[in-house]
Amino acid sequence: MDDYQTEEEESAFVVEEVSKIIKESVEATIGRNTYQHNRVNQWSTSVVEQCLGQLGKLGKPFKYIVNCIIMQKNGAGLQTASACFWDNSTDGSCAVRWENKSMYCIVNVFGLAI
Amino acid sequence: MSDQQLKHKSHRREKRTGKVPSEASHGRSFSELSLIITFSSVSTASYMDDLGHHDDNARLVVTIDNTYQLGPYKCFPVPAVTDILKDVLTSYLQEEKYESEWSQKMTKTICEVIRARVKDLMIPRYKIVVLVHIGQLTGQSMQISSRCLWDASNDTFASYSFKNSYLFGVATVFAVYFE
Repeated sequence: MDDYQTEEEESAFVVEEVSKIIKESVEATIGRNTYQHNRVNQWSTSVVEQCLGQLGKLGKPFKYIVNCIIMQKNGAGLQTASACFWDNSTDGSCAVRWENKSMYCIVNVFGLAI
Repeated sequence: MSDQQLKHKSHRREKRTGKVPSEASHGRSFSELSLIITFSSVSTASYMDDLGHHDDNARLVVTIDNTYQLGPYKCFPVPAVTDILKDVLTSYLQEEKYESEWSQKMTKTICEVIRARVKDLMIPRYKIVVLVHIGQLTGQSMQISSRCLWDASNDTFASYSFKNSYLFGVATVFAVYFE
């Protein structure tokens, strides 16, 4: 039975683990940079790519969806929401909101068990 | 959904036990049992018999026949879903101005509405993720990007963005085939 438990744990969507991966990739990519319009494309690509790379390395039986929003800070508001139709016992999601002086970065990750 | 889930789990166990009956230990013999029932459940009488004998693992008896289905019968209709997104975003946001509190409620409402309408399409074996953003337009620049790790032949997405002079709304639906 113990064996079974650990196997379940190994193939579950662990939110802490994922949120750590997201934070690391955002920090590594954007860090203290100020907002530059022509580099945003490169940043957002790099953030989602790094996240996906790290998630893939976890070797869990999941399909992943990674969504990244980078927005310049000038007082504008932004709301995001998500709704899912899936198996609550196996699938999970994780959202990280990150900001520095000149921009907001929101990353959403959804993991759907195969 | 629960049937699928159950089948999915028994499928996983099948992988673990490695399909070799002689190797099955005490803990694993249940999955073996459920598998055997799966194959022999063609006759109703034997099915009932099994139920009577193994009262303690009655829940395992709730198995379904193998479908031998490898792909979706019905692909996810991207144009139809894009139409839904367009319809919902336009009808909810057309005449509105941006307010943060209203927008908080509205993102959730729109999410729920879209999910309900996509569910109404009754596409079996697909899991759905709906993502909605509403933002104020004040001349800022922003970028939304997503990337997925999935099976590109069956999984897909639909997206639509709406804009008026005060706000923008972006809705994305990801559809992931569930085997």
